[in-house]
Amino acid sequence: MRALWALLGVILLAGTAAAGASNLVADGSVGYRQADLSWDLDSGAAVNGAVFEIWTSNESLLNASAPEVHSTFLIGSTEGLVQPEPGAWYDDCFRTADGVEAPVHRLDNGTAVLPEGTTAVTCTLTGLAAESEVHLAVWTIGPDGATNLSESVRVTTSIADVLAAPLDTSPYLFAIGSIALSLIALLSVLAWRDRVDGRTSARGAHLYVAPALLALTVLTFYPVIYGMWLSLTDADQTRLGDQVFIGLANFAEVFATSGFLRVTAFTLVWTVVNVVAHIGFGLLLALLLNAANLRGRTAYRTVLLLPWAIPSYISVLVWRGLFEPMGAINDLLGTDLNLLSDAGGARLAVILVNVWLGIPFMMMSISGALQGLPKDMYEAAKVDGIGAYDRFRHLTLPNLRSALVPLSLLGFIWTFNMFNVIYLMTDGGPNLDFDGPGSTDILITYVYDVAFRDGAYGVAAAWSVVIFLMLVAFSWTYMKRTNATEAVA
Amino acid sequence: MKASNLRRLAAALLVAMLMLPGCLEAEAVDEGAEQATEVTLTVWHSFAAESKEEAVFEASVAAFMEAHPGVEVDVTGIPFAEADRQFMIAAQADEAPDLVRLSSDQLGRIGDVRVSGEPLLEDLRVHLTPAQRSAFDARALNAMRYDGALLGVPASQDCLSLLYNPILFDAAGVEHPSEDWTLDDLVNAADELTAGDVNGLAMPVKDAYWWFGFQAGHGGALFDANGTPTLDSNGSAEAMQWVIDLEQVHGVVQTGTQTESMKTQFLGAKAAMIVDGPWNWATYEAGRIPLQQTLLPTVAETGERVAPLVTYKGWSVSKQSPEKVWATELALHLSSMDVQRTFASETYTLPTHVDLYEDAEIVESDVLSGFLDQLMVGTPAPTTRAMGMVYDPLVTAFENVYAGEMAADEALQLADEALEADLEAAS
Repeated sequence: MRALWALLGVILLAGTAAAGASNLVADGSVGYRQADLSWDLDSGAAVNGAVFEIWTSNESLLNASAPEVHSTFLIGSTEGLVQPEPGAWYDDCFRTADGVEAPVHRLDNGTAVLPEGTTAVTCTLTGLAAESEVHLAVWTIGPDGATNLSESVRVTTSIADVLAAPLDTSPYLFAIGSIALSLIALLSVLAWRDRVDGRTSARGAHLYVAPALLALTVLTFYPVIYGMWLSLTDADQTRLGDQVFIGLANFAEVFATSGFLRVTAFTLVWTVVNVVAHIGFGLLLALLLNAANLRGRTAYRTVLLLPWAIPSYISVLVWRGLFEPMGAINDLLGTDLNLLSDAGGARLAVILVNVWLGIPFMMMSISGALQGLPKDMYEAAKVDGIGAYDRFRHLTLPNLRSALVPLSLLGFIWTFNMFNVIYLMTDGGPNLDFDGPGSTDILITYVYDVAFRDGAYGVAAAWSVVIFLMLVAFSWTYMKRTNATEAVA
Repeated sequence: MKASNLRRLAAALLVAMLMLPGCLEAEAVDEGAEQATEVTLTVWHSFAAESKEEAVFEASVAAFMEAHPGVEVDVTGIPFAEADRQFMIAAQADEAPDLVRLSSDQLGRIGDVRVSGEPLLEDLRVHLTPAQRSAFDARALNAMRYDGALLGVPASQDCLSLLYNPILFDAAGVEHPSEDWTLDDLVNAADELTAGDVNGLAMPVKDAYWWFGFQAGHGGALFDANGTPTLDSNGSAEAMQWVIDLEQVHGVVQTGTQTESMKTQFLGAKAAMIVDGPWNWATYEAGRIPLQQTLLPTVAETGERVAPLVTYKGWSVSKQSPEKVWATELALHLSSMDVQRTFASETYTLPTHVDLYEDAEIVESDVLSGFLDQLMVGTPAPTTRAMGMVYDPLVTAFENVYAGEMAADEALQLADEALEADLEAAS
C-alpha cells in the first residue's frame, strides 16, 4: 500500500504536485539512533487540515517497497495543547511560524500539531536504524486530499551505542590476590623455618595445606574482610561501586536503630530457647531410642527423622498454613485465632516450628554418642545398685560432654543465624515499629531487610559485623569456660 | 618395550581415538550454531509458572524467533514481587538480562539506582519512533516514564474490581451488585450473604494495594501534586478503618484473609464477592465458578467512586545489554497489537494498545470491557521513588490498627512521617 502511495507521489511530483515540504537537511551525528531533520514548508502547504508524515526507509523512498511512517504532524489549532520544553517530551521538535521558532504543540498521544502558516520545522528524529544509512522524506496530504512526496534525503546515523562500562573487578581480584600471596608467603616462611630447625619430616606439609588455604581465602577470608570494609563505607544500592569511606557512621546508625535492643534480646531468647529445647528433647528421645528393650526402634527413628528429611522450607510453609485462621490448628481447637498477626503469638509460633525442625539432628547426634558409651560401665553401676537417675546424672551426662559441648556451640551459632524459618513463617512481622525490626525479626532477618529491601549495603554490613563480633565473643567465652576444643580432642 | 608400557601406550591411543571424534563433532556443531544464531537475548518474565500467561508469552517469543532466525531468546521466569530486586542485584553483578518485565510502580525503585555511575535501564525514547509510541495509551506510556526517561514499553495494565458469584446471591435472595451501589450497599449485602461457612466478601483487609482504591474514594491520596506524601488525611484514615472493620466489626470478611486465601474462599464458593483483578479470572473460570463483574461502589459521603490503583506492566531493556536494538524490537513485539490481543482473549490481560480499546473482540467481552471501564475510573500509580517506598510504612500502619495498638489517623500520621524520613534519607 505504501509503495502505491509512493508511486502516486512520484506521479504527482511529475505532474500537478501539491504544496509540500522542501529543502530537507539531515544530520546523523546528533545521537544514538537519532538524526536531526529540518525542512521548509512550501507556501500554502501549512493550511488547516493538512497532514505531514515523515517517512523512513533503508532504501531510496522512490523505490521503497515498505516505507514506514516515522511521525505525523497536523496543521490546526494549538489552543489548549501542551507545548513541552526541549528535553521534556519524548523527542524535540521546533517549528517556525511568523518568524518565531518555538517547540511544537502535542496531542495526548504525542502527535505534533503545527499552527497554520508554519514555514519550517526542525526535529530530532528518534528510533532510526543504528549506525546505518536511512532515507527520509516528507509526505504531505493537503486538506483537499492532494498529496506530495518531497525529495528524499539520505543520512547515516553515525553515533554508536554507549555501552555501560563493565563492572570493574580489579579491586576484588587485587584483594583476593593479596590475601592469597600473603598466605603463600606465610607458608613459605614456615617451610623455611622448618627446614632451618631441622624438622624435615614436615617437608611438603605446607604444600599440602596450601590448596585448602587458598579455598578458604576466596570463600571465607575475603568475604569477611570485604564485609568489614563495606561496613565502613556508604555503599548503597543506588550507587554501588562509588562508595566512599565514612568511618564508623554505619555502626552509630546500627546502635541508634529503634528496636536494636529489642531485636537483640529476641535473638538471644530465640537462640537459647531453641538450643535448650533441641538438646533437651534430642537427649530425651535419644535415651528413649537407646533403651535396650525398645521394639520398633528403626520405625521410631525413621518417624522422628522426618522433620529433618523434608526440605525445611516445605515444612515451614506447611506450618504457616496450619497456623492460619482457616488452618488445621484452629479447626482442631474450634477457634478463630490469628496467631501470626499477634506479636506474642507469632514469636511463639516461630520458636515452636524451629524447635520441631531442630530436634532430629540433635537426637541423631546424641544417639550416636550414646551408642559409643561402654556398656560394661553401666553393667558395673547396676551391679553396684546405682539407680537409673544416678546412672544418667553421673555416668551418661559426663561421658556425653565431649559431644554435647561442641553440639551446643554449633547449635547456638546455627540458630542465631537461622534465616529461613522466620523469613518464610512471618517475614519478620507483624511489623509494629515504623523505624525498626518486626516483632519476630532476629538480627539476621533484619539484616536481610536492611540490605535487600532498604538497599543500605553499608549499614547491613555493619549489622553483620556486629553479629559476627557477638558470635565470636560468645564462642570464645563458651570455649574458654567449657574447654570445648579440648573436649573434642 | 615392556608389556606394561605397551598396554599403557595402547590405552592412551584408545582414549585419544575415542575423544577425537567428539572433539571434531563439537567443533562442527559449534560452527553450525554460530552460523544460525547471530544474537542471543536473555529475557526475564514474571508470569506465574505454568500459567496461561506464560504459555502465551512463550508462544509469542517463539513467533519472534521464527520471524528472526538469527535471534535466539533465552527465557527465565522470576517472581513478580521480586522482579525489581532481582534485576537490581543481577545488574550490580553485571549479569542483567537484556529484557525484563517490570511493573510501573517498580520503576521508581530502579530509576535512581546506579552501578558505577550508570543507570540500570535504557531510556527507550531514542529507540522508539513517535508513530510507535502513539500506538499506546498515553496514560500507560507516561506510567513507564521515570524522571523523564522512558523505561519500558507498556504491554498490559490492570486494577482491582468487584467480582461476585451470582448463584450465592440468588440463593440468599440478595439483589446483584450494580454500578449504583454505595459502600453501605456493599456492606449490607455482604452482611446478608454471610451465613454458615460463607462470607459475604473476600479481600485482604491489611493489604495496602487493596486499600488504595478505597482511600481515593474517601477523598484521600497517596501524594499531592508535588509528590509529597499525604497519607495522614482524614479520608485515608476513614478508608483504613473502613476496610479493617469489614473483618473486625462487620464480620463479613473471614478473619485473617490474605491474597491466597481469598482466592481459595471464592473458588470454593465460600465467598459471595471478591475484590480482585483480571489476572485471576481465568482461574475462577477454570474452577467453574459462575462469576460476574461490576464497578467498585461509590462512597456516599464523598460521592466519589472507589478508584483502584492502576498499574502497568511493560518490557524494559537493560542499560548493560549489548543488543539494545534487538531487545527493543522484542519489547515492541511483545507489546504489539497482535500479541496484546492474544493475551487479552486467552488470559483476560488488559491491553494498552489504543486500537484494541475499539477492537470488536475486546468490546464484546464482558470481562475485558468491564475491567477496562474500571480502569478508566482508576488512579494510575505514580512512577516515583516514593511509590516504591510507600508500602513499608503502610504495612506497619495496618498492623498497628489491625492489632488495636493505634487508631487509623495516628498510624497514618506516623506512616507519613516515616515515609518522608525515608525519602529524605534516600535523597
